[in-house]
Amino acid sequence: MPKTLVQEFTKGLWQELPPFRLVLGLCPTLGVTTSMENGLGMGIATTFVLFGSNILISMLRSVIPSKVRIACFIIIIASFVTIVELLMQAYTYPLYLKLGVFIPLIVVNCILLGRAEAFACKNNVSSSMADGLGIGIGYTLALGSLGAIRELLGHGSVTVWGHLSYNLMSAFPSYHPFTFMVQAPGAFICLGLMLCLINAIGD
Amino acid sequence: MGYFELIIACVFVNNILLAQFLGNCPFLGTSKKMETAVGMGMAVIFVLVMAGTITWVVYAYILVKFGLVYLRTIAFIVIIASLVQFVEMFLKKSIPALYAGLGIFLPLITTNCAVMGVCVLNIDKEFTFLQALVASTFYAVGFGLALVLFAGLRERILLARVPKPLQDTSIALITAGMISLAFFAFQGMV
Amino acid sequence: MNEMVKMVVVLTVLSAAAGGVLAAVNKGTASQIKDQQLRFVKGPAIETILAGSSINPIENRFEIKEGDAEKSIFVGKFDGKANTIAFEEFGKGFGGDIGVMVGVNMDTDKLVGTAVTVHSETPGMGARAKDDPSFVSQFKGLPVANPVSVTKDGGQITAISGATITSRAVCAAVDKAMQAYQKMKPELQQEIKKVGK
Repeated sequence: MPKTLVQEFTKGLWQELPPFRLVLGLCPTLGVTTSMENGLGMGIATTFVLFGSNILISMLRSVIPSKVRIACFIIIIASFVTIVELLMQAYTYPLYLKLGVFIPLIVVNCILLGRAEAFACKNNVSSSMADGLGIGIGYTLALGSLGAIRELLGHGSVTVWGHLSYNLMSAFPSYHPFTFMVQAPGAFICLGLMLCLINAIGD
Repeated sequence: MGYFELIIACVFVNNILLAQFLGNCPFLGTSKKMETAVGMGMAVIFVLVMAGTITWVVYAYILVKFGLVYLRTIAFIVIIASLVQFVEMFLKKSIPALYAGLGIFLPLITTNCAVMGVCVLNIDKEFTFLQALVASTFYAVGFGLALVLFAGLRERILLARVPKPLQDTSIALITAGMISLAFFAFQGMV
Repeated sequence: MNEMVKMVVVLTVLSAAAGGVLAAVNKGTASQIKDQQLRFVKGPAIETILAGSSINPIENRFEIKEGDAEKSIFVGKFDGKANTIAFEEFGKGFGGDIGVMVGVNMDTDKLVGTAVTVHSETPGMGARAKDDPSFVSQFKGLPVANPVSVTKDGGQITAISGATITSRAVCAAVDKAMQAYQKMKPELQQEIKKVGK
């Protein structure tokens, strides 16, 4: 039985939540989540690319010859990545500087090629759209929450775009931020524990 | 910066896997057995040295010269993808023994962010050609080193009793965190 | 054979389309990107030099050709007169090029201030050229006609202790800027009139 659009959308939020369930796209998951803001920014950039490439690939799926399909996918994805790169430089320059090398690296994020190969080239435009959006938002939420946890434990406070902010020290005055969490080893360990938590909650 | 410092920085201080988080998918995917880890490490060294130098030349002598810097991402990924394909065909025809060892890892390298990442870093750090060559080689060596170390630990984990929710990727990530912590000691050496 | 042709055609069309779209996006965002880079990389230095200007120096900039390179000149307006400019020059430091933004008052031909924009000097040593305002403040008020150098070389600038190379590089950059200013002055006076209106 074919799934409804709503199901295509929601599966990305839990069942196929990219970094935790499929264990894909780990490099940016570890690399940019030093703060919630960076995590969300990276997630949104990836969502844009995924949404765009999913639509375009499913539109062109009857034209693309199967032998060179990977090459075609790569060209399409790389074009969207470059567009994001240029737009971010033009409008959110400080964020662009912080994410640095990880923006061009969206192109080698396995989630993108994975969705193109496993979904977009086999399904129609509207369900590919729902799939891209769902997986993208799931990815953004995952990166955002990991970033929030690391920032909270590592700095003792969370700030998003200078507005929404929460200070852990005001609630627990005796808490001492430990910078370990925002450094490289903390990333691995934090993600490992989160994965454990999600496994424990189960299906 | 001297070349010696550059080598130390690439292999240890800024280790591509443990400090820069690039190439983590194959890091977790191919580290369950020592054999596959060694194979993947060798394949990455092989491809990265070539990709790093070729992309540098293309960037400096084609993209910059014709004002096409904005095509960097698309040009690099196409170069890497075709290079991997070419290497695969070449090895299959002329050095079958090596192909038997590395063959199955080569297609995986196209989407290995370590390869693309080092090519981009070479440009962002404004390396000269020789620096780019040295950096590409030793970033790859650092990748291989971390992968082999990690595979050794993971083979041991198989024998340990791990709580159910922590099994597989979860415990692997925590172990990686420990190695990363050990590599952290190199910080400030250069 | 037919399939082969299709493969080549699809790939070529796709690449061409990608190239075209990217070229268009690049053209559309180019000026905005330059603006952002100026604001975030050079902005802080410009703001300290031209503090109190009644107009935004980054928006009121113009370009001047000097040799092969094009220079961005930032204009500040004080007491209703657009008479102060700032631009960037480079000197060779310990860890690479050091960028120094130099401000000049065009009526008095004196420096109004200098600030380091980009550098890769050692933290705690050469990096103090940027972090410690007492070093760069020595340049303030010096006339552009006289070359500057550190006291070790017989000049008037006290070097940062432990960072002579960095201090020399900053002096060299300021020197270069002063010479460039004297060469460009007639052209500058032409251009600045347009901003004044």
